[in-house]
Amino acid sequence: MANSEKANSDVEPSMKKLAPISLLLIVALLGITTYLALAVAPTEQTMGDVQRIFYYHVPSGWVAFLCFFINFVASGVYLWKRSASSDALAAASAEVGVVFCTVLLITGPLWARPVWGIWWTWDARLTTTLVLWLIYVSYLVLRRFSAGGQTQVLAAAFAIFGFADVPIVYMSIRWFRTQHPSPVMGGGQNSGLDPAMAHVFLANLAAFTLMGIVFLVLRYKLQMSEHGLESAHAQMALKGIA
Amino acid sequence: MNSTEFLSGMHLTPYSAAAYAIAWLAYLGYLGRILLRMKKVAEEREELERTTTSNTAPATLKRSAV
Repeated sequence: MANSEKANSDVEPSMKKLAPISLLLIVALLGITTYLALAVAPTEQTMGDVQRIFYYHVPSGWVAFLCFFINFVASGVYLWKRSASSDALAAASAEVGVVFCTVLLITGPLWARPVWGIWWTWDARLTTTLVLWLIYVSYLVLRRFSAGGQTQVLAAAFAIFGFADVPIVYMSIRWFRTQHPSPVMGGGQNSGLDPAMAHVFLANLAAFTLMGIVFLVLRYKLQMSEHGLESAHAQMALKGIA
Repeated sequence: MNSTEFLSGMHLTPYSAAAYAIAWLAYLGYLGRILLRMKKVAEEREELERTTTSNTAPATLKRSAV
């Protein structure tokens, strides 16, 4: 109890400072990435301006993968050490990952409709990505509604098995010939990005990574703070009984 | 550069506009949700601290002077 109260008192003042800074930072990052994608990047030859969705679609997927990897590592550490901080990091990274994966799944069909003529198809990449989203939504539901003292252990075990879908999603366009295009970067001899496009893409990738880190830090601090509050309530209840 | 000139420099289609608008809404909405939850937790903590201090009884009980 004493430790969690101390941890919570450390978190509270930094939260007040973080809120306006994070709001400004996220708005600035969204503004810069939108400007780069819609005004600076050159128009693609075949697809035209709708291809500019790429500059939000791919970085969102990258951050989602990164968050799910952090969730995988934090869950492993939790099973090993049973520390509240690794459990909080696992919960935070899963939630942030789901948000970015949701944007990935929404921007994809908005790009597919004018280019393929369809919103959705059950090909390997799209299906495995939807399964990935469902796995992490289930993980969050498990954490939210599971009763009893073993929730964190169950969630950590679930997360470790759930992460198996991430490499499958990544490799799906390499293993199977799908409706989804082959990888643009690192996809072999016939793949590649125009240098002007690559600069914007890499800038957006960096900005989205920073945005993901900001969300992760805020969400982690919130999780720790909520944990501290729950401990304080439990302590109060025990004092009441005594 | 005014806002009209700025917007005319953007290469938008209805689909890309929808994609960017939804992404902005999702990320800002999520940030708003986190900040509101932080505020709620801070308020609950203050309330708990108030309750704890008002309910604190003295450790030793003494006879009234009357």
